[in-house]
Amino acid sequence: MGGSTDIQLIVDGKRVDGRAPDEMRNVRIEAGIIPEADGSAFVEWGGNKILCGVYGPRECIPRHGANPYRATIKCRYMMSPFSSKEEHGRSGPSRRSTELSKVIREVFENLVVAERFPNTQIDVYIDVLQAEGGTRTASVTAAAVALVNAGIPMKDMVSAIALGKAADVLLVDLGKTEDNFGQSDVPLAMSHKDKKLHLIQMDGLLTKDEIADMIDMAEKATEQIHEKQVDALKRFYENGGNENFKW
Amino acid sequence: MDKKIVMPGEKIADSRIRAPNTFYEGEATFATVIGTLDETGRYIPLENPYKPQVGDLVVGMVVDVRHAGYEVDLNLPKGGFIPSRDIRVALQLGDYVICKIKLVSEVGDVDLGEVKRLPMGKIVRFPPAKVPRLIGRKSSMVALLKENAGGDIMVGNNGYVWISEKNNMPLLLKAIEMIDVKAHTSGLTDEMAKFLKSSR
Amino acid sequence: MVNFMADSKDIIMAHVRREVMNKTLATGIRFDERGFQEVRPIDVQTGVITTAEGSAIAKIGKTAVLVAVKFDVLKPFPDRPKEGVMMMNAELLPTASPTFETGPPNENSIELARVVDRGLRSAELVDVKSFYIEEDKVLGMFLDIYVLNHAGNLTDTAALAASAALQNTNLPKIEGCSIVRGESAGPLNPKSLPIATTFVKIGENWLVDPTRDEERVAETSITITTTEEHVCSVQKRNGSLTKEEFLSNIDIAFKTGNDIRKILTR
Repeated sequence: MGGSTDIQLIVDGKRVDGRAPDEMRNVRIEAGIIPEADGSAFVEWGGNKILCGVYGPRECIPRHGANPYRATIKCRYMMSPFSSKEEHGRSGPSRRSTELSKVIREVFENLVVAERFPNTQIDVYIDVLQAEGGTRTASVTAAAVALVNAGIPMKDMVSAIALGKAADVLLVDLGKTEDNFGQSDVPLAMSHKDKKLHLIQMDGLLTKDEIADMIDMAEKATEQIHEKQVDALKRFYENGGNENFKW
Repeated sequence: MDKKIVMPGEKIADSRIRAPNTFYEGEATFATVIGTLDETGRYIPLENPYKPQVGDLVVGMVVDVRHAGYEVDLNLPKGGFIPSRDIRVALQLGDYVICKIKLVSEVGDVDLGEVKRLPMGKIVRFPPAKVPRLIGRKSSMVALLKENAGGDIMVGNNGYVWISEKNNMPLLLKAIEMIDVKAHTSGLTDEMAKFLKSSR
Repeated sequence: MVNFMADSKDIIMAHVRREVMNKTLATGIRFDERGFQEVRPIDVQTGVITTAEGSAIAKIGKTAVLVAVKFDVLKPFPDRPKEGVMMMNAELLPTASPTFETGPPNENSIELARVVDRGLRSAELVDVKSFYIEEDKVLGMFLDIYVLNHAGNLTDTAALAASAALQNTNLPKIEGCSIVRGESAGPLNPKSLPIATTFVKIGENWLVDPTRDEERVAETSITITTTEEHVCSVQKRNGSLTKEEFLSNIDIAFKTGNDIRKILTR
C-alpha cells in the first residue's frame, strides 16, 4: 500500500490485467457442490477459488457457549497452503484469517434469523483454495449462497466487492497487484433489498467524496454479483442438484 | 413454469400474510428462505431445517437410555425425550421408534409420546422441506413405494425415513434419491410408478 | 452386533445395522446396486489449482479429494544431505463432512496422509535425488490432501488424486538456487502410478470401495496399494483377516488398480 513502487497500475486507462476501471473480473458461482454439507457453494472469481460449506443449526459445542435466545453463528475462514503462487504456506489459523473470520461472521449475524434456533450453532466454513486478491469479498458472496442452500432463514441477500484506488483512479474489484501496490483498498458487503453496508473496511487515504463514489460503484457491482448468486441457486433447484459440476 | 423461485428478502405479498419463514416490513410480507411462489401467492420453502411442532409424527433412534427415560436422535440439534412413565415397553439403545411430538419448549426441547417401536430396518435422511413430496397426495407416493419395494416405510416430518428390512433395499434407496432430486417437478408420482415398474 | 457407539459423536446421517445390510448383500448386490468388487464411478480433473505446480481433484462416487503439489527450496535432512524431501499433509476440512472438526491434524488425517505417502514412496514414483540443488539446498515437494466431500473411502480417492496430481506436476525452474515462480523446467513424469484399493468385510463378504454406510458396519478394513507389478503399501485398520483373504484381496487390488490406471493414462 502507498503506491511507492514503480509498478504502473493504470496505462492508457486500462488496468494491469487489461480491465477498465469499473470492470469486474469473471465471476462463476455454483451452489450445492458439497453433498455432505447442509448447504454449500463454490465461487471462482478471477484467480480466486473459494469453497464454502454450511452446517446447522446443530448442537452448540461447547454446550455452555449456547445462547438460549438465538443460534450462535460461527465462521472459519482459512487459506490453503497452496493458495498463492509464492512459497508453500502454513496450515492453520493466522492473525489475518482470525480477523477475516470475525468480520465475515458479523455480516451474517445481521442477516440470519437466529432467534428461530435457540441453543444451536450454525457453522460457516470457508476454504480459499486459490487466492488472487479479494478473497474476503468472494467469501461473503459464497457464504450467502451456501446459507440459502442450507435453508437458513435470512432477512436479506448479501453480495460483496472490493473497491480501490490506484494512480488516482477509483477501481472496481481490486486484483492482487492493485491491492498490494495501489493507494487504497475498500472491501465491502451490501445487502440486496436494503442496500445496507454489512462489511466495510479500508486502508490507504481517501477523501469523503471518493468514498461516496466508491459506495455508488459498489452498489452497481453488487447488483451484478447478486444476479449470479440467484442464478446459481435457481440452477441448483431447477436441476435437482449440481452433481456434475466442474471445479 | 407457473412457479417462481424467490430468495430470502424478496417480497412475496403486498399485504401481511400468515406463513412460516416470512417477516413483515410495513404492510408487506417477505421471504426468509429460498422457496417457490405460485400464481395464487402460495409460498413453499425449497429448503428449510426441520422445526418441531406439537402433533408432528417423527422417526428416530434411541441414542441414550437413562433412568427417567430415553433420548432419541431426531435429526435435530438436540435429541427428543421419551419419559419412562409414558411407555410400557422397555426400549434399547439403537431401537427405531416413531412417535408424536407432545411438547416443544421455548428453547427447543422436544418431549415425545405415543411411541411405537419399529422393527429391523434402516433410517435414511431426507430433506425435511421435501417430505410432503415423499408422502404424496393422500399418501400416494408412500403407498406406491411400499407396493413395489415389498415392505413397510415410515416417513417422519423430521426428515428421517424408516424403511423395513423386508424391502428391496437398493430399489427403494434409489427411488427415494430420485424423489429428492426431482421433488420440484410435476407428475412425480406417475414418473416414479413408471420407474418402479421398469425396475421390477 | 450393533455398531452405533463407534460413531455416537457422528451427527448421524443414516442409521443402519449390519444384519440389515447383510440381508441385501445375500442377494449379491449392495445398497447402491453395485457388485462386491465394483468401484463407484470415477472422475479425475487435473490442473484445477493454478497457484500450485500440480493438482488434481479425484471423485469416486460422491467422495471428492483435491491434491495440490507445491515446491520450495529447503535445507535437506542431515542424514540425507543429497536428497530432496517430499512432505504430505492431509486436511479433513470441516467444510467436507459433518463428522470433521476444526483443529490440528487428528489420527485420521495423519493416517490418511501417511498411507498415501507410503504408497508413493515405495513405488519410487519420484526420484528425490534429482531434487538436489547444491550443498544445503534441495527441493522440497509438498503434497496437500484436501478432502472436499466425504461419502466413504477417502484413502483410495486421496491416493488417486495424488497420482493424478503428480502426473500433472511441472518441476519448477531454478535460478541462483531459488525458484522462478510461474516458470517450469518440464514435467515431473512420475515413474509409476500407485493405486490404492480399500476392502471392507461385512458378514462373509469382502467389498471394494466402501461407502460411509459400509465403513460404519465393517468388521475389517484394509487398504492395499499396487503398481503394475508390486504391492507397494498395506494398511489394515479395524478387524482381522486370514492369509487366504489377504492374498485373494491382493489379486483384486491388482485388477482394480490396473482398471483405474487406465483412466489416468488415457
